[in-house]
Amino acid sequence: MTLPARLRLAAACLLLTALTACSGGSPAATGDSLAVALQFPPRSAYAFDADDGALLMTLGVAETLTTVDENAQPAPGLATEWTPTSSPRTWRFTLRAGVTFHDGTPLTPDAVVTALTYISTVTAPPRAVRDIGFTVRADGADAVLISTKEPDPVLPLRMSSGNLGILAPSAYREGAAPAVTRTATGPYVLTEVNGADSATLSRNDAYWGPKAGAAKVTVRYVTDPQSRALALQSGDVQFAEGLPQASIAQVESAGASVQSYPAARTIELLMNQSAAPFDDVRVRRAVTAALDRPTLAAKVLGGAATPASDLFGSAVPWGATAAPPAADVATAKRLLAEAGKSALTVRLWTFPNRPEMPVLASAIQAMLGEAGIKVEVTVGDYAAHEPKILAGQFDMFLNSRSYLSDFADAASVLTSDYTCQGGYNIDHFCAPSFDKLIAGLSRTTDVGERQKVFAQAAKMLTEQAVGVMIVHPSNSAGSRGATGFVPDPLGVQPVLPKLRPAG
Amino acid sequence: MTRLLRRLALLPLILLAATVPVFALPRMTGADTVRTVLRTRTAAEVPDPATQARIAAEFGLDGSWAEQYLRWLGAALRGDLGLSFISRTPVGPAVGDALLVSGVLAALALGLAVVLGVPAGVYAARRPGGPLDRLLTGAGLVGVSVPEFVVAPVLVLVFAVYAGWLPAIGWDGPAHAVLPALTLAVYPAALAAQLVRAETIAVRQLPHVRTARAKGLSPGRVLWVHTARLATTSVLSLSGMFIAGMIGGSVVVEVVFGIPGLGRLLHEAVLAQDLPVIQAGTLAVLAIALLTGVLAELLQLLLDPAAR
Amino acid sequence: MRRRWLGLASLLVVVTVAAHFLLPGPLAVDYSAILAPPSLGHPLGTDQLGRDAAARLLAGARLTLGLTVATLLVTALFGTAVGMLSGYAGGPLGRVVPRIADMLAALPTILVGLFVAAALGPGLLSIVAAVCLVGWTPFARQAYHLTVRESARDYVGAARTLGAGPLRLLIRHITPNIAGPLLAHLFLRFAGTLLTVSGLSFLGLGVQPPAPEWGSMVAEGRAYLFGAPHLVLAPAAAVILTATLTTLVGRRLDPDRGSP
Repeated sequence: MTLPARLRLAAACLLLTALTACSGGSPAATGDSLAVALQFPPRSAYAFDADDGALLMTLGVAETLTTVDENAQPAPGLATEWTPTSSPRTWRFTLRAGVTFHDGTPLTPDAVVTALTYISTVTAPPRAVRDIGFTVRADGADAVLISTKEPDPVLPLRMSSGNLGILAPSAYREGAAPAVTRTATGPYVLTEVNGADSATLSRNDAYWGPKAGAAKVTVRYVTDPQSRALALQSGDVQFAEGLPQASIAQVESAGASVQSYPAARTIELLMNQSAAPFDDVRVRRAVTAALDRPTLAAKVLGGAATPASDLFGSAVPWGATAAPPAADVATAKRLLAEAGKSALTVRLWTFPNRPEMPVLASAIQAMLGEAGIKVEVTVGDYAAHEPKILAGQFDMFLNSRSYLSDFADAASVLTSDYTCQGGYNIDHFCAPSFDKLIAGLSRTTDVGERQKVFAQAAKMLTEQAVGVMIVHPSNSAGSRGATGFVPDPLGVQPVLPKLRPAG
Repeated sequence: MTRLLRRLALLPLILLAATVPVFALPRMTGADTVRTVLRTRTAAEVPDPATQARIAAEFGLDGSWAEQYLRWLGAALRGDLGLSFISRTPVGPAVGDALLVSGVLAALALGLAVVLGVPAGVYAARRPGGPLDRLLTGAGLVGVSVPEFVVAPVLVLVFAVYAGWLPAIGWDGPAHAVLPALTLAVYPAALAAQLVRAETIAVRQLPHVRTARAKGLSPGRVLWVHTARLATTSVLSLSGMFIAGMIGGSVVVEVVFGIPGLGRLLHEAVLAQDLPVIQAGTLAVLAIALLTGVLAELLQLLLDPAAR
Repeated sequence: MRRRWLGLASLLVVVTVAAHFLLPGPLAVDYSAILAPPSLGHPLGTDQLGRDAAARLLAGARLTLGLTVATLLVTALFGTAVGMLSGYAGGPLGRVVPRIADMLAALPTILVGLFVAAALGPGLLSIVAAVCLVGWTPFARQAYHLTVRESARDYVGAARTLGAGPLRLLIRHITPNIAGPLLAHLFLRFAGTLLTVSGLSFLGLGVQPPAPEWGSMVAEGRAYLFGAPHLVLAPAAAVILTATLTTLVGRRLDPDRGSP
């Protein structure tokens, strides 16, 4: 009886320490501080040539020369105005006066030159400045001149890309990535970085614009959606983005307010037009008619997406907002019969990295089965299959694609994905009239005009049934103990500075 | 003893030989490493050939495999394991940090296994065939049969979702270590309980213990000594069996609980084709597996003079 | 005792056969019953597409258990052959083979799976390759020890003096005498193999969704842990039940030991 008593005691101690430790573990919102759970950790240690540039902007740490307004028009950022010069290849950006970096040094034309020269000369420059002969030089005490090889219609918009954040000259060191702590200009100072797990921000009291909402923010990167919901529900964080649809009701009943907003992304069913049967537009239209997109969005994805009627959705001003029609199986069957393809077996590829893709693939398989198209689904690693898919050795491919390219302009995606020579033209669509329309963009400076062309291009794609645009996924964010969240569908606005602790 | 020393001396040679498959195998996928890496850095990237070539040169992926291998091996022998393709930070410290986390987790799990398993075995042996024994033996049977990927979500469901006592994810203080350590401890604890039960039953059959019990005395002291010895030997043998597996192989647990250990590091590296991390991490686990093998044998020699 | 297990096993068979005829297909979607809790029509509830979880579990059984049994048989045959040959031959071969087996056995299987997935890309092939690469070692070790033990017995010597060749000796004389423990070992290894096969699928390196596999079903179900825990609990229970039962059978069959 006596012998295992000590062991029992030891076990009890172990459990007790564990349990007591957990009860004191959650950092509550104390006065003027916030804890937030973000979906995407820095991919490459906050490097500007990765998606991390956009992340630094979301955090409210780094800023760019321009930003965009709600109409996706360029708006003042670190530059207050920009004008074309006498040369059509050069723009002059006037810098905002009185801006200081977090290290105390002033924002000067030379600092901007250092920053932008760095990013345009790395091994793999971001798309915003790649292959356009981007150069920058100082002009007087408060301006820079930015030139490109060819006249660039969207240079002011380009400069809003998160990849082009400006850091203090001290951040740029030979042979190393720029140092991001205490070197930027934004409303928050990045004070501490803990790998891809967390980061600490503190308010920049010398900020040139409206001050940030909290004195201190603890940013946690939580990749597991379930855990983000749990963290919000338990009060570990006051703000969490990317909540799983299945948990939203639960989180709301715990007192959180949840907002859903469209992402600038389309899940598209691409069909290989370089071979039968999808070289026949009737077969492609049959597939379009057979798919019940409202059901896919509302039921299969549980409302975590809006049905797509077009390549562009409501995240952008030029996106289509009308809902697509429900399935029309009779029309689908008629079209297939006309094409002489009443009994058809095709293979559908997709990848599991985004968990909704295999689910959608199963649902699409069931819907096409109704119309007499037998679909074999293969789910496999994207990277392993990309070469085959780019080479046109596939029937159908379910892809998830962002339709903006680092700034609020669709020209680059339209070119790479749908022109004859496009580098990512998976479905091998090739129409001279479409190419001509897109080529015209290189001379269209007016942002409103460009947006009209984007909408027109999307309409052409829909008419030709170039892939079926299935859904536009939604993002969601919940706050509990914090207010002021403003959705940023374009991914180019600071998000965290607008949040403030409630009460 | 000399045999042991010879094996110890052989270790570096084995590791050196292992570098060849460790280097070559991850390069044999059909996937293009540069494209995968670029897409991991920038989600919507559509790389053009010129950029791809520049990146390949930066990564040292140009030239023949033999050339690349020698370049990597040369640097590795000088202690430079290169930069991660994805984060572009040095691989050595990253693997070291992850190793430490996994080591802590493994130590906690083994400790928990002993704390749970040894008393369970001793209790079960008090009346073999009795209700407690059957209960514990049944639990042990389930314990050795249940995979981690089942234990982990069930523990999360019970303790984090329903009860709300413990955090479901993260690595941020003692509370975060409870569920993962428990998950990892299930199998070794069940195994320890079985071993201890068998041995305790054997000890209770020893003449002097039986005499003591026949006289109505408590068999306490003998069993105490016996339990203490069992606890030590089970810790040692469990460590020998599981430490390598736990440090490198707790992939499932580290992924489910979001623990920044070596298992998760390697899992992410494999998905992103981060070759330098895959190479360094695999070699580290290999080295640990080989070392623990030799150490376990050494300990056995020290503890059991008959084996000398 | 034995009758009770027999009863349980036949009950399982009856339920399986009945379910096969009564339940909807594993891929049949039903948007009117998404994430439904268990009911009469759907005894284990439905998943995010309204697919019947019980039907998927059964379809998953075919895939999961099929893969497990297939890889187990391959590794058992290979491992046993290697172990017996080296055990009988002795000499340098008898020393080297157990060494290699020991070294491979020290590697964590999931990690080997990760590494193989890095080489072959995630997929079915990776699982099979990873399990086969390491899975043969316990069989080789056991067959080695058993063969060494048996070779020293009188009947082997007697058969040898009667002119039996090595192959005949191994197959006709030694194999029948060590088959019992080897068979027990086959059952005892089942749980471990199942763990690796499903574990790799759980990590997304093996069988890919929507194919129903128990490991990937647990992984898929984790997203609905809040509202529909049955999606995790059902495949989890299936894994536990299968693994425990096979381990139990293995122990009953094992004449020597009570532990794996």
